[in-house]
Amino acid sequence: MVVPMGQAPRGAGDAAPRPAPPGPANRTRRDVARGLRAGALAGVLAPVLTAFRSPRPGPAEADPPGGTAPAFEQTYRGRRLRGVWTPGRTPAEDGRWHVTVDGRPLHLMRRADGGWLSTVDHYCSYRTPLEAARAAVDALGPGEQLRDAAPAPKDTGHAHGEGRHGVRA
Amino acid sequence: MVYVRKDAGTLTAAERRRFVKALLEVKRRGEYDEFVRMHLAYFSSDGERGLRTAHMAPSFLPWHRRFLLDLETALRRIDPSVTLPYWDWTRDRTAASTPWTADFLGGDGRRSDRQVMTGPFAYRQGDWTIEVGVTDGGFLTRDLGRRGDPLDLPTASDLERALRDPVYDVAPWDSTVTRGFRNKLEGWGTGRGGAAWRNHNRVHRWVGGAMLGAASVNDPVFWLHHAFVDLQWYRWQRRHGGARYLPARPPGPRDGQHRRVVARHENLPPWDVTPDELEDVGRIYRYA
Repeated sequence: MVVPMGQAPRGAGDAAPRPAPPGPANRTRRDVARGLRAGALAGVLAPVLTAFRSPRPGPAEADPPGGTAPAFEQTYRGRRLRGVWTPGRTPAEDGRWHVTVDGRPLHLMRRADGGWLSTVDHYCSYRTPLEAARAAVDALGPGEQLRDAAPAPKDTGHAHGEGRHGVRA
Repeated sequence: MVYVRKDAGTLTAAERRRFVKALLEVKRRGEYDEFVRMHLAYFSSDGERGLRTAHMAPSFLPWHRRFLLDLETALRRIDPSVTLPYWDWTRDRTAASTPWTADFLGGDGRRSDRQVMTGPFAYRQGDWTIEVGVTDGGFLTRDLGRRGDPLDLPTASDLERALRDPVYDVAPWDSTVTRGFRNKLEGWGTGRGGAAWRNHNRVHRWVGGAMLGAASVNDPVFWLHHAFVDLQWYRWQRRHGGARYLPARPPGPRDGQHRRVVARHENLPPWDVTPDELEDVGRIYRYA
């Protein structure tokens, strides 16, 4: 399932809200406000949608050089979410997402329908990496953090060949 | 000698005790965490490259059948009277029913951090520390029924919809197929919300906590859940006159699924076994 161009990923903010602890909630509102003030929201979504239109962008249409600028960066329920999309260097090479929650890597996998699933919420998928990251936060318990060196399928490599480096798009 | 896998709800207190004791011993020996690692290693998704064996693939059923047999062998090395029980989630549907009792798998996680506090797998008992996990807590977590946004376990009629399909699986043999027994049972749906999880996947969601993640094997209910899933394969075969595993032959070189799924007579990594050899295990165990 591909998010149509020009349409914000609906539901990105519709996960059932639960009461957040006072501190982080304040921070959330502040960060969101700051993001809106900077007019950053559209900019946050654009690269995500680009990534969807073009899972393997060729050099001509690749994201701006210095692809380390985050495609999304926000606070959700007191958790810091950040997603960086790195396009493949050649048409044959897959681009990849590097998504973190509170600075710790969240491993994502791509589904054949274009959706994304994370190692935290592994038995269903979401339309965008951001939605998958939010769903992972929803699934984490209060105070529960991702393991810094969380075991992930990509780290084990065997039987998969193909050198599974990072998260593919 | 054919052994019997029983409905968890019918086990005697002694049977429950012996099963738990054998599991704890497998854990103590370090063997259990190898099962957790293996399940993690073999979860490849169908939107990526490479061979899929354990999920989003026709070999979902034989892969887990063999995985269960390996654990069962480890348990039976410790206590030959032990077999894997199954959890019939169409019947035992609440957080108070089998298998969530203090003398068996323990109950729900507590509200504050979802930590399981009762039963032999509670962290404070000291026998069940999560070593190979996705998150940093060393304790087992559950969120039965998902308190924040409740959902129900799959029903008998949900299961019936899968069992009714006379075809084992269909091309492209992945999570997007809407026909075929395999994915209707595995449960990859389309869309969002409740409809997106069916049968097998929905049960992982319902249990929550560790069971929702890639390291779901950390919750011993994983085995009881998959034993029930395995039983459905047997029931489906019986209902459809011994219908076979598909694909019978590997997808050809021009097929997008070429070398990405395991055909009936191909090797099923990581084992030296084929789906064909796992279709009938009647000489090893049967279900009561």
